[in-house]
Amino acid sequence: MGKLYNFKRSLWVFHASGGSCNACDIEIVAALTPRYDVERFGIKLVGSPRHADVLLVTGAIPRDFADKLRRIYEQMPDPKAVVVIGNCGTSGGVFYDSYNIAGPIDEIIPVDVYVPGCPPRPEAIIDGVVKAWLKIEKLEKQLEGKKE
Amino acid sequence: MSLTLTSPSGFWNPLLWLAFLILFTLIGYIIYSKGNPSYKKDTEQVKPYLSGNIEPSKEKIQVKAGDIYWGFVEALKDYYKVLKAMHTGDLRDYILWYLGIGAIIIFILIGGV
Ligand code: SF4
Repeated sequence: MGKLYNFKRSLWVFHASGGSCNACDIEIVAALTPRYDVERFGIKLVGSPRHADVLLVTGAIPRDFADKLRRIYEQMPDPKAVVVIGNCGTSGGVFYDSYNIAGPIDEIIPVDVYVPGCPPRPEAIIDGVVKAWLKIEKLEKQLEGKKE
Repeated sequence: MSLTLTSPSGFWNPLLWLAFLILFTLIGYIIYSKGNPSYKKDTEQVKPYLSGNIEPSKEKIQVKAGDIYWGFVEALKDYYKVLKAMHTGDLRDYILWYLGIGAIIIFILIGGV
């Protein structure tokens, strides 16, 4: 197998929605629409975690979804980063301490970037993804170091 | 002896075929070597993505030949219950049925004349 190259390619993002009210998800969609158009920066939503570099997670994560989220995270290739969108995933939000909630998300999978807000604006989401990009570049260098 | 086989619709040459095979193997290997080298074997990373669900066993998700007739068999289940009871798997029983039904047909034919 070949060498890893610096992360100079497009960033592919997978979106997992775990019990969100859908407003965070709609803001993610807004980031894709012509006004913000994140694809011009090479940020693209993909349909499978196996193709993704970044995992966007929304929602407070009900108990039924926790193991599925873990599996989705494990299916992503390294180097990878997790971005939590919204207050629900960050702290539990309005569902904090609810009996059927397994979140916040950092209690289920490791989180790299938090984008708080209820829901956050598309600018904030784009900023979060760019921060994840920096993190992935760092991780990639570490992986390279391990290989040599 | 010529290795080229010519026909009205083209020609075939084993050496040319071998050369193409080597070339395509090489191209295939180059594409393969550009793949992500950090993937981990024997983990979730090599399993198909099913919205985070566990992959069910092959037996559970396979469509069997019998499944195609499910509606038919279900609609006629009373009829099949009788048939199944008669279906012993013993060849002598079937010969007996064969002879019995044959005798009835002959009887009807002769009786009809
Ligand atoms: S953070 Fe707010 S907008 Fe986002 S999923 Fe939770 S309740 Fe909805």
